[in-house]
Amino acid sequence: MAMDPLHDQYGLVRIYGTSRAADGNVTLRLHDRAVELGADEFTSYTRLAEWLPTGRPQTELEAELGMTRDRVERFVAMLEKSGVVYSTERIPARLTGEEFYRDYFAKFLPSWLGEAFSHPFWERMMSGKGSARLYTGWLFELYHYTRNANRHMPLSCAHTRSKPIKALRAKHYAEEWNHYHYFSKSLKALGFTEEDVRSSVPLPMTLALSNFMRQAAREDVLAYSICSAVLEGTTTDRGTYSPYYEKAAELYGIPRGAVTPIFAHLDLDVQYQHSDLFLEICRAVDTMSAERASLVLDYGHQLVEHIWMWTENIERYYEDDANPMPRRAFDPIWD
Amino acid sequence: MALDAMPLLKRTAKVSDRQHAIAISYLANEVTLEGAAASLFRKLFPHLDGKKGLGQIAETIAEPAPRVRALLEQLRTTGALGFFDDSGQTITGKEFYDLHRRYCAHWLERVYQHPLWQKLTTGTATRAQVLGFAFEKYHYIEGAYEHMAIAAANATPEMMPHLAEHFIEEYNHGDIYRRGLRSLFPNDVVLRAQPLPTTRALVNFLSESAARNSFGYYAGNELLQMTENTSDPVAGGSIDTFYDLMRKHYPYTGKLIDSFIAHTKADQSLGHENVFMKMCASVPPLTRAEVKDAMNIVRMMAEHLALFLDGIDAHYATFPTMPRTPCTLLSE
Repeated sequence: MAMDPLHDQYGLVRIYGTSRAADGNVTLRLHDRAVELGADEFTSYTRLAEWLPTGRPQTELEAELGMTRDRVERFVAMLEKSGVVYSTERIPARLTGEEFYRDYFAKFLPSWLGEAFSHPFWERMMSGKGSARLYTGWLFELYHYTRNANRHMPLSCAHTRSKPIKALRAKHYAEEWNHYHYFSKSLKALGFTEEDVRSSVPLPMTLALSNFMRQAAREDVLAYSICSAVLEGTTTDRGTYSPYYEKAAELYGIPRGAVTPIFAHLDLDVQYQHSDLFLEICRAVDTMSAERASLVLDYGHQLVEHIWMWTENIERYYEDDANPMPRRAFDPIWD
Repeated sequence: MALDAMPLLKRTAKVSDRQHAIAISYLANEVTLEGAAASLFRKLFPHLDGKKGLGQIAETIAEPAPRVRALLEQLRTTGALGFFDDSGQTITGKEFYDLHRRYCAHWLERVYQHPLWQKLTTGTATRAQVLGFAFEKYHYIEGAYEHMAIAAANATPEMMPHLAEHFIEEYNHGDIYRRGLRSLFPNDVVLRAQPLPTTRALVNFLSESAARNSFGYYAGNELLQMTENTSDPVAGGSIDTFYDLMRKHYPYTGKLIDSFIAHTKADQSLGHENVFMKMCASVPPLTRAEVKDAMNIVRMMAEHLALFLDGIDAHYATFPTMPRTPCTLLSE
């Protein structure tokens, strides 16, 4: 199926939020700006967005929009100027690792984290519609996620050929490998025994996070490192995450002993300055192609989507009182 | 049954005391005890923890041991009751096959009852969910290049011929789905499309299992095959109804549905229905640890399959962008 030029010339910019005003105007939130479109413009944009990745001829789009060829091209040029579509010609062929970090990743990260934590679970927990059981389930999964660092962090060293990068990755592992103890301590403060915690089984999406990190570690150390950077980004700013733990503790009667170890963990991450690690790794990359940059960004954004779906999995499982907590392994004798 | 045998009511068995009777449900079965049997069970129930011998329990509850034994023997046949001292025994491949079948039917219930099926067949699924369903099935089937290859490359000597054949027969099944998707999107867009994290999770779990436990991987894969590869006319009929309803509610999916049907037929033509049974019949007896490992893979596979559906349902309802094109430096 041959493509019309527009298919090749333009790409869609990710929309992180949409809101419609009373007058019908629609505001699209991009990573760096908000773009307001009139109601008709928005309808046309939606049709364009649906058409662009297809192989359908441009004449079909023109008919759908009721526009001539020239007018469609002017409309797309206007959308490019406002930032909701981009011209593929403007993608740089190569860039340095530091440029990748500074000009792209660092600018995208806040929106990515916003997307990762846009799941309604957080609002539910903060508004008192959650439960101690949901909070505890979340802690169990955090325990497994942290413990599973041992499944992927060393693998990222093993598959790296760059000496400076493997040294940075190894140091990170040495500093983090046993952080699951913090969550174990929290769970024990909630009444679980060491055996309960140690023999518990993670949810499939918790396991999936570490399996995805293993996949990244095998494919490209920058792909792995961007995932790690997204995860570290979730703990960089204590001011962002402390209110959740504080409020949940207050709302659901979580004992202090179950919250203190989590803060100790967050503080340790800040102390190690792990959020700067990705910049250091990127500085060790003299040049990268647009294709590699695309792959690395893909991993980063997929990690964001993993976090959203992880939250969904936790909420669905632990909100059902009939599901065991902790989750136990199947045993042919006991089950 | 010896007097020192230690009876254990399975922790997944549910006991409901209905005054005149006691119902014990376990997997898909339910047994009801009435009258004297129910009274005896009430006395026995607190002791069925695998820690005390049958003789000791009989003595504790002041009941004749033969009477206690008779009831426990009956409960054992339902599967709801085991004996802790069974743990040292091995089980045959045939017994494993029966165990696998029993649990798969139970673990797949969540998959069969998933709300996504209802949405797809009543016309209430969104365009993103419908197309997403097709894309994710494609990504999952295309994942054969990963997990089936890893399985073949890491196979135990006795499993190698099965896993090699499996890969060679199925590695190109993704192309069948791709043909359907190409009716709506250019080939390049389909090839570069990104799977959902939940689909990636399923493929990665298959790959990780394939790398470390050939038999467990195949047992897990068998659970997935059970949902696709049916020669049962009733199940086959419900699949046909599903496709008919999709065509009716989403007319733009015609060629996608053709590809789904072509894939089901391709799977059925391989005649894989009995492969796992034959494989089980040929393996040496399995230890409790081996059974436990394999069955945990199977249970986790069922959970990943449900997660696969959760992803299509929840993600595409919230993030309807379709298809999921890869990032570029300017797309974010």
